[in-house]
Amino acid sequence: MIDWQPIWLSMQLAGITTLILVVIAIPVGYWLAHSRRRWKTAVEALLSLPMVLPPTVLGFYLLLAFSPTGGFGRFIDQYLGLRLVFTFPGLVVASLIYSLPFMLNPVIAGFTSLSPDLRAASRTLGKSDITTLLRILLPNIRPSLVTGVVLSFAHTIGEFGVVMMIGGSIPGQTRVASVAIYDEVQSIHYSLANRYALTLLLISFVILLIAYGTNHHFNQRKTLL
Amino acid sequence: MSLNPTATSRIRATKLLHTAHGPRELDISFQWDRGRLLAVYGPSGAGKTTLLRMLAGLTEPDSGYIEVEGEVWLDSSRRINLPTRRRSIGFVFQDFALFPNLTVRQQLEYALPDPRKPAIIKELLAFMELEALQHHRPGLLSGGQQQRVALARAIARGPRLLLLDEPLSALDDDMRHRLQEYIQTAHRHYGLTTMLVSHHLPEVFRLADEAIFLEKGRIVGQGDPAAVFAERPLSYRPGSVDMTGEILNITADGEQLAVTILVRGAGNDRTIELEAAGSVAAGWRVGQTITITITPKIS
Amino acid sequence: MRTAIGQLFLTMLFPLLSPTGGQSSGLPAGQRTTVTVAAAADLKFAMDSLAADFGKKNPGIDIKLIYGSSGNFFQQIGNGAPFDLFFSADMDYPRQLQARGLTASVIRIYGTGQLVLWSRSFDPDIRKMDGLLDASVKKIAIANPAHAPYGRRAEEALRYFKLYDRVRDKLVLGENIAQTAQYAQSGAADVAIIALSLAVSPAMQRSGGKYWLIPPASHQTIEQGFVLLPHGKGNNGADRFMQYLSTPEAGAILKSFGFGRT
Repeated sequence: MIDWQPIWLSMQLAGITTLILVVIAIPVGYWLAHSRRRWKTAVEALLSLPMVLPPTVLGFYLLLAFSPTGGFGRFIDQYLGLRLVFTFPGLVVASLIYSLPFMLNPVIAGFTSLSPDLRAASRTLGKSDITTLLRILLPNIRPSLVTGVVLSFAHTIGEFGVVMMIGGSIPGQTRVASVAIYDEVQSIHYSLANRYALTLLLISFVILLIAYGTNHHFNQRKTLL
Repeated sequence: MSLNPTATSRIRATKLLHTAHGPRELDISFQWDRGRLLAVYGPSGAGKTTLLRMLAGLTEPDSGYIEVEGEVWLDSSRRINLPTRRRSIGFVFQDFALFPNLTVRQQLEYALPDPRKPAIIKELLAFMELEALQHHRPGLLSGGQQQRVALARAIARGPRLLLLDEPLSALDDDMRHRLQEYIQTAHRHYGLTTMLVSHHLPEVFRLADEAIFLEKGRIVGQGDPAAVFAERPLSYRPGSVDMTGEILNITADGEQLAVTILVRGAGNDRTIELEAAGSVAAGWRVGQTITITITPKIS
Repeated sequence: MRTAIGQLFLTMLFPLLSPTGGQSSGLPAGQRTTVTVAAAADLKFAMDSLAADFGKKNPGIDIKLIYGSSGNFFQQIGNGAPFDLFFSADMDYPRQLQARGLTASVIRIYGTGQLVLWSRSFDPDIRKMDGLLDASVKKIAIANPAHAPYGRRAEEALRYFKLYDRVRDKLVLGENIAQTAQYAQSGAADVAIIALSLAVSPAMQRSGGKYWLIPPASHQTIEQGFVLLPHGKGNNGADRFMQYLSTPEAGAILKSFGFGRT
């Protein structure tokens, strides 16, 4: 029988990560798209690093950082009661770092593709930057947001190396679907591995279908109405 | 519109511009009265758009002072710089900057400072003949329709100062004429103070009470359009020269008619003032093209 | 629509918000206890059977099983992994944990593992280790000696038979001994040196390979120990599972998977 827990866990991880990333990427992307500070390039490069870095490099440094034997890990363990190695919250933090560029880059691209006059026009109409962001900028970069959401959700579901290094495959906690597939293959439970894999494939396909459907609908509506 | 007792406004500003022709210092100072329609005219790179953006607070001068109907918007010596959203302006951008996600009606509603008073929306939609399009998004509107929406949106917020940045440059002549009328009527109807950037002299003459002639970052003339442009010398060499011009303005002066003619040169448009007998110029109309022949006198 | 999304959001946040976050010990609901067991990969099938048998007798206790290489678990335990019990494929790693104060009980031996040569391309009973030199043998899977005890023993055996340098280029390294077995089972490797406990598993038996017991004299004995970890201290279920392991039933299961008793 298929155990739904790893798949549900993957969904939870990807869902929470994506939600938090939306909240992070909008202000950070807004700043990166509009700031003219010289060191923003360095920030941009730094935040895109997880995209090119082997997951093991990230996993290794996160393990060092989160381990309760190290300074930072001990601090959050003792003062916040939060342990980030081999726990679900730890996976969330790691996924946030790991998937950030997949959310951030589309959002930056969306903001920069808008005419700067849109922002200026909203200001001349007496609107604050927050109102401008919520009522004008965000609705007009919706396809970029959808792309970011889909990419970071899918990327988090597909995450393996980092999870292996700081997750430890604990059932119900850190044994997400990608790791479960790996485990089942090792146990020579091919049919079970296959069912996990197929389920993931189907879920990913449906997500993409919904995302592209929404964007297609959006683009049509934009021109027709 | 405003009950402010001070009817005069002024700007004084300097700013170093980085233009296609290299760095250039913008240094301007002028004042204007409430209710006027001013045209800011000049060749490209003269600083027209920068001037408008400085008034709107979208561009900050290196130093300067802006006071509009008694309210100080900018005073660099006192570090006062009112943000754009606190300045009572309406701005029509060159590319119109309509919000792609909002319908025509929603654009106007968005601009409304007090959403509880939607009456002006209905009136503006009727005035700009946009009622049939009010539920459309800007994507499929023509250039002229977009321009009307942009104008209506700028007026909807009830500004003290309406700023138009070459709003007509993207339109063909026919559309241009019709929209000039919208601008002029709206200006009068809503009692606005309007500043219009243009590099099209016929437009300046048609619309403006007052012209500001900007060249290389300096104001080289301000006042009645006919006077401003008449002062500019027209150079010609001896010999018979034919020049084609467009009639900009005709005013009656007893039996005589004073005719202002725009003569186009290579990036060097000039106007000529002529006195013509009523009998000769009776059929002349503004906008008509005429030929002027200059022949040296043989003594 | 909106409330549905909100509910989904809350449900998804739940593991984050709940203070125990589904931690292994002392779950309040009912009287259920969870024991998280980190077990060396050679125990894969044996431990599944042990946990199933134990579960029948102790319905209130959930055994969560995680398999991997002993060296990897050693590293994870050092970094604070929340395991209650650690079953190593050797005595070394438990002893090192003990030396670092990361154990909560004495180390007990649960069995002695055996190394086998598993092959589908030749009959290992006849050819024995010499079969490794066959031209038809392109890849030989062993566990990674860096962190898997069975890999270390396999390397010792290859050296003992003076084969190591001659077959070194054919070696592929599994992450742990179970993956090593899977390499051979899937045909990715022609031959593997694996644990007897895996070779006797139904999955490996079905795949048509044969195995030959590598003489224990060729390598260090594979005494395997387990230990209670600090995280499992006071976990009633962990104590019960440890007691269960010394019962004859548990001994019989381990024996059926090829573990020798010491």
